[in-house]
Amino acid sequence: MCEAAQADARREFEERLAECGPLAFRVARGVLRNTADAEDVAQEALLRAYKSFDRLRDHGRFRGWLVRISFRLALDRLRSAKRREQRDTLWAKPAHLAPPSSAEDVAASNQFRAHLDRALEQLPEKLRLVLLLSAMDGYTIEEIASMIGVPLGTVKSRIFIARKKLAEKLRCHANTIKMR
Amino acid sequence: MPCEHYKDALTEVAASGAVPQGELRAHLAECASCSAAFDEEQSLFAAIDSGLHAAVNTEVPHSLLPRVRARLSEVEAPRLRWLRPLVFASVSVALVLVIFLMARPWHSAPEEVAKQSAVAAPAPAARSTETNPENVSSMGTQMAAIHAAHSHTAQNSTNIHSSASGNPEVLVPPDEREAFARFVAVLNERSDVAAALVAKAPQKDVVVTADPPQIPDIEIKPLEGTEIETSDGTGEKH
Repeated sequence: MCEAAQADARREFEERLAECGPLAFRVARGVLRNTADAEDVAQEALLRAYKSFDRLRDHGRFRGWLVRISFRLALDRLRSAKRREQRDTLWAKPAHLAPPSSAEDVAASNQFRAHLDRALEQLPEKLRLVLLLSAMDGYTIEEIASMIGVPLGTVKSRIFIARKKLAEKLRCHANTIKMR
Repeated sequence: MPCEHYKDALTEVAASGAVPQGELRAHLAECASCSAAFDEEQSLFAAIDSGLHAAVNTEVPHSLLPRVRARLSEVEAPRLRWLRPLVFASVSVALVLVIFLMARPWHSAPEEVAKQSAVAAPAPAARSTETNPENVSSMGTQMAAIHAAHSHTAQNSTNIHSSASGNPEVLVPPDEREAFARFVAVLNERSDVAAALVAKAPQKDVVVTADPPQIPDIEIKPLEGTEIETSDGTGEKH
């Protein structure tokens, strides 16, 4: 009896896994900017979701639930990675290497990406999650609203505020890059 | 530098991704600096969107789902692992119970056998009171048959006898078995020894009564050629 119920839960979870696995990975990838770390986090998130799958009353909310788990795990991973990086920097004190002059455009692009990453990390979590989801292919704003369980207008306003905040932080850097 | 009056409006329109409308649209058509600032804002938001899109829409590794499935199987195994000791413990308890129940008759069996043998023992003993050569020889034959049967079962298997009779087998060392065989052979040859062995032993509490022996009167006669001691101390020869 117990084993049959467990097999049913596993089958249902497997069906959702193919659809929601990539979503969990992309959320983690958006936060971490690293494919290997994002894969680890997505795996952990899916595992946690499976362990608590029987406690989820409304299985229709599985996607949003998984997105939140993945987002939170990715944030935790990012924080611990930052702490580790700071520690390593304090001990090793690596020399700041100048970007190769021959690939100025690439360097400028990488610089902008680094500034974007930093600006994104400084965004409040609510804004960051909505912004990442809105940047993903295949999800409309309505879907994002139902996924995270907030009204459509709230999603729109959060996207707007997040973009504005990012632009404020990146404007000077964009001008610097452009001046080169 | 954009005009201060339209600065925020430019940013908001660019952030929302909408097309400028009305007054702002007309101003952008007239003011080159505001138009340039609006273009910059649009390119900035485009760069932000592009960066976000690139970060989020990377190809999902093919190893993700197989790894997750493997981990799920690993997680499920410990869930069922607690069942194994439980099953093992219950089977062990059942086994011990079965062994105990089967062993209980075995403990009482020797006592019953002893009682049965105690009851059955007087019969041959009573018969043995009439000890005649025929009986003795037949008993010797029986003992030989028992010995033959015993040696046969001992040679084949020790379990056959015990399983067939339902009594526990008495393990006898080989030298004792040989000695017993020799003893039976002697009994077969010498029927009187066998008869003496199977004869009923005298009971201790039986009072044996016997007639007093008849002793005739003693006549005192002098021996021929012997000396008779006289009263004066001198010997007299007859």
